Amino acid sequence: MLKFILKKLAMMIPMLVVISLVVFLGLRSTGIDPLTFMVPPEVQSQSPEIVEQLREDLGLNDPLLVQYFRWLGNLLKGDLGLTNKGEDIAGIIADRLPYTLELSLYAMLFSSIIGIGIGIISAIRQNGIVDYIGRVLAVLGQAVPQFLVGILMIWIFSIKMGIFPAANRVSPDATNAFVDAFMHLFLPVTTLTIGMVAVLMRYARNTMLDVLNSDYIKTARSKGIPEWKVYLKHGFRNAMKPVLVILMFRIPALIGGSVVIESVFSYPGIGTSMTNAITNMDYNLVLVITLIIAAVMLVASFMVDVLNALLDPRVRLGE
Amino acid sequence: MSNTNSMSIKEQNKSAASSLMKKNIRKFLRNKLAVFGLVVIVVITVACIVAAATGIDYGTPNPTIMKTPPNGEHMFGTDTIGRDMLARVLFGGCYSIFIGVFCAVMSSVLGAVLGAVSGYFGGKVDMCIVRVSELFQAFPQLVLVMMLVAILGTRSMGNMLFVFVITGWMTTFRMVRNEFMSLKGETYVKVCEAFGMSKSNVMFKQILPNVMTPIIVSTTTNVAYFILQEASLSFIGLGVADSTPTWGNILNAAKSIQVVQNQWWIWVFPGAAISLFVLAINFFGDGLRDVLDAKQQ
Amino acid sequence: MGKNFDSKEIILNVENLNTTFVSDQKKIRIVKNVSFQLKRGKALAVVGESGCGKSVTMNSIMRFLGRNAIIKADSIQYNALRDGKVTEYHIEKIDKPHGPEMRALRGPEMSMVFQDPMSSLNPVYKVGDQVAEGLLQHNKGMTKAQAREKVLEMFRKLGIPDPEERIDCYPHQFSGGMKQRVVIAIAMICNPELIICDEPTTALDVTIQAQIMELLKDMQVKDGKSIILITHNMGLVAEMADEVCVMYMGRVVEFGSLEDVFDHTSHPYTQALLRSVPVLGLADGQKLETIPGATPNPADLKGGCEFADRCPFAEDKCRAKDIPMFELSPGHRVRCLKYSSFPLAEGEPAAAEVK
Repeated sequence: MLKFILKKLAMMIPMLVVISLVVFLGLRSTGIDPLTFMVPPEVQSQSPEIVEQLREDLGLNDPLLVQYFRWLGNLLKGDLGLTNKGEDIAGIIADRLPYTLELSLYAMLFSSIIGIGIGIISAIRQNGIVDYIGRVLAVLGQAVPQFLVGILMIWIFSIKMGIFPAANRVSPDATNAFVDAFMHLFLPVTTLTIGMVAVLMRYARNTMLDVLNSDYIKTARSKGIPEWKVYLKHGFRNAMKPVLVILMFRIPALIGGSVVIESVFSYPGIGTSMTNAITNMDYNLVLVITLIIAAVMLVASFMVDVLNALLDPRVRLGE
Repeated sequence: MSNTNSMSIKEQNKSAASSLMKKNIRKFLRNKLAVFGLVVIVVITVACIVAAATGIDYGTPNPTIMKTPPNGEHMFGTDTIGRDMLARVLFGGCYSIFIGVFCAVMSSVLGAVLGAVSGYFGGKVDMCIVRVSELFQAFPQLVLVMMLVAILGTRSMGNMLFVFVITGWMTTFRMVRNEFMSLKGETYVKVCEAFGMSKSNVMFKQILPNVMTPIIVSTTTNVAYFILQEASLSFIGLGVADSTPTWGNILNAAKSIQVVQNQWWIWVFPGAAISLFVLAINFFGDGLRDVLDAKQQ
Repeated sequence: MGKNFDSKEIILNVENLNTTFVSDQKKIRIVKNVSFQLKRGKALAVVGESGCGKSVTMNSIMRFLGRNAIIKADSIQYNALRDGKVTEYHIEKIDKPHGPEMRALRGPEMSMVFQDPMSSLNPVYKVGDQVAEGLLQHNKGMTKAQAREKVLEMFRKLGIPDPEERIDCYPHQFSGGMKQRVVIAIAMICNPELIICDEPTTALDVTIQAQIMELLKDMQVKDGKSIILITHNMGLVAEMADEVCVMYMGRVVEFGSLEDVFDHTSHPYTQALLRSVPVLGLADGQKLETIPGATPNPADLKGGCEFADRCPFAEDKCRAKDIPMFELSPGHRVRCLKYSSFPLAEGEPAAAEVK
C-alpha cells in the first residue's frame, strides 16, 4: 500500500514539470512584451535604454529554456515572482487561495452529501417522490447556466429579500468572523453546489440501480438480513467506488465553476485573479495559478486512486 | 415467407431499413419530451435565422429609449444603451447556436479521426495521442480555454471556435478509440484487410459506422455543452469580442448589480433563451439516445 | 380451499400462482396458474426452455421480485417441521416482500443458490464474513468466533480446501466451482429445510458441474433437505429428481414423478424436450431433434394452448380456449387435450379434469 502511494506521488512530479513547461512556453510565445505593462509609456518612449537595461536584468533576453529553468529554480526556492504591477505573487496566492479552497471544498462537501444522498434514495425508491423531484432538478440543473443561477440567487436573496450580501468575502465591520463567513459563503456555495448536484445525483442513482440489480444483492436478501443492511452494507459499499471516480471527474467542473461563480459574486479568490490576470495579460500570475490548479487536479486524482484501493480488495491486493 | 424470397436482397435490405426507420420515428414520437425538445430547437433556430436574414437592427444605440421595460414596441425591452433586446436575443441566438453546432461537430470529427487512428494503429502513435489527451483532461476545460485565450491574445470569433474545438475532442476520442481497439480484432475487419482493402477504407468505411450512434448522440448533447461554455466564458468577459451579441455577451450586462436589481428584462430574456434551448437539446439528445441505442432495443 | 394434503409430508404447496410484470403501462403475465407440491426430503426438478417462467416462479415464492411484479396466489404454503411439530407459513399473505416475516424465513427455513457464482458474491467482503452474515443475523447472541467456527465447519463439509486460509480470502481469489461452494455455504449455513437451486451449474464447466450436483444430492439424501432444482438439462433431471415439473410459457404443462414424466410422457412439449437431449452414442445418421419454431413473445400471446403453434398434433380446439389440467394417474398431471391419444401405460384410468 505504501509503495503504491509513493509510486503515485512520484508520478505527479514529472507531470507538473511538463505542464508548467508547456504553459510557460505557450505564454512566452504569445509575443506580448511584459515590459509594456511594467513601464509607464512615457518612460518607454523617452528612455528606451532603461527598458533595455530592465529587460536584460529580468533575463528576458535569455533563451526561453534558460528562462524556464530560472523560473522553476525560483519557484522551488519559494519565489513566485512579481506581477506586472510589481506585486508579490506569493502574497496574492496566500491571500486568495484559502478563499477559493473554502468555496470549492464546501461546495464539494455539500454536493456530495446531497447528490449522492438523493441519488441513492431515488434508486431505492424508484419513481417515488424523491426520485421525481431529483430528476426535475437534475434536468434544470444541467440546462440553466451556473452564472444565471448565481444571478437569480443574488436577485432573490440579496436584492429582494436582503438576507445575504451579494459580493465579497469579508465585511469590514464584521463582529463575528463565523457569522460573517457564513453570510458571505452561503450564496456562492449554494450556487456552486446546485451545479454539481445535478450530475452527481444522476450518476449516483444509475450506479446504485446497477448495483441493486446485481446478483449479490439477491444473495444478501436470501440471508434474511434487514433491508437497510442490504442497501448500505451491500449496495452502497459497492456503489461508492464508481461514485468516487465520478466525483474526481467533477473536480475540473468544480474549479471551472468556481472561476465563474467568483466572478458572479465578486468573490476574492484565485478564480477572479485568473480572470483579471488574463484580461491584463499578466502572464506570470496566469502561469502560477494554472500550475496550482494542475497540482490540485493531480492531488485529487491521486486521492481517488488511494480511496479506490482502500475500497476495492482487487486493487488493494495488487492484482 | 415466399414473397420475401422472391425479392432481391437489396430490396429486402431496403424494406428492412425503411421499416426500422419507421419504427424508430414512431418510437421517437412517443417520447413527448424529445418531441418537445425538437420543436423548441426548430422554433428558436428558425426565429433567429429569420431575424438575422431580415437584418433587424441589434447594434445601434439609441440614448432616448435606454432601459425601457418590455412594451408593445420593444417586446423584450431595451438594454442599458437603448438597443432592442428582442433583436439582440434573436441575433445572439444565431451566434450562440452557430458556435454550439460548429464546435460540437468539429470536435466530434477531430475526436473521431484521432480516436480511429489511435485505436486502429496502436503502438507509439496511440501512446502519443493518449498522452496529449490526458494532459488536456488534467485541466478544467474552462481553465484550459482561458489559458488558450491568454495565449492567442485576441478574442476573435475564429480564435474562440478554435479554442473550443481544441479543448472539446477528448471524450469522443476516448469513446472511438476504445471501440476501435475492440473492433479491430473482429473477423470481418480481418477479412477486409485480407482482401487488401486500404487502411483508411477499413477504418472509416468498415469500423467507424459501428460507432456512429454514440458519436451522433454525444455531438447533440455537446451542442448544449458548448453553448453553455461560451456563455460562461463571455459572462466573465473572456469570450467573443463584446461587439458580437452572443447570448453570453448579452448576459455580461448582468455583472452589474444595478442591472440585476432594476432591469430584470436585460438578463431574464437571454437567460431564459439559453436555458430553454439547452433544455430542449438535452431532451432531444436523450430521446435520440433511446431510439438509436441498440442495446436498449 | 380445503386442505387436501398432509403438512408433514408436503413441505411446500403452491396453488394458482400468477406473476405479472408491469412495463410501460403494459401488463405481461409471466407465470400463469402455477400449482405444484414438494414432498419433504425429495427433489423436484423444474424444467423448461429459457424464459418459460421457472426462475420467476421461484423468485415469486422467495419474494425476490422488484416492485414492477405483481404476485397473486391462492396459496403459497410452507410447512416447517421442527422436533415433530409442524408450523405453517402462508407466504401469499405476507405483505412486505422484505419485511420481518419474510426475512425470518429466508436463511433458517428456505434459501436459494443462484445461477452465476461469479456475480452472486459481493466482491468487497471476505467470503467467510459473507457466509457468517446470515448466521449472525438469525442467531442473536452468537459471537463472531463461534460463527467463524461454524463457517469453517461448513467449508470443510462442502470440500473447500484449506478452509482456515480460504475463509479470509475475497471472492475474486476463488475459482468458479469454489465460489459456487461458497454460495451453497451461504444457503446452508442456517440449516434451512428447503433449498431452491436456480440452475446452479450452468455457469460452471462440466467436471465441476458433477461435483456440485453430488454435493446437492448428498444434502438431500444425507441431511434430508428438500430441494427444488431449476434446470434445462434433462440429464441432470434424470439423475437428481424424484419429481418433475415441466413448464412452458409460464404454465405447468406436465407434472409427475420421474417415472411418470420420463416413461409415460404425456405432453408433446415434454416429448420434444426429451428427444432433443443429446445422448452419447447417438447412432450414425440419427439426427438430434429440435423443437420447430421459437418461443412466442409473452406480450402477444392469444388464448388457447401456448404450444399449439409448435405442436405437430395441434388442432383447432387447442387454440380455442385455455387448456385445463388433467390428472392421468395420482400425482401425474398434464395440460393437453390430446393426453388420451399418447401411448400410455396399460390400465390407465380415464383422466379427470382438475382445477
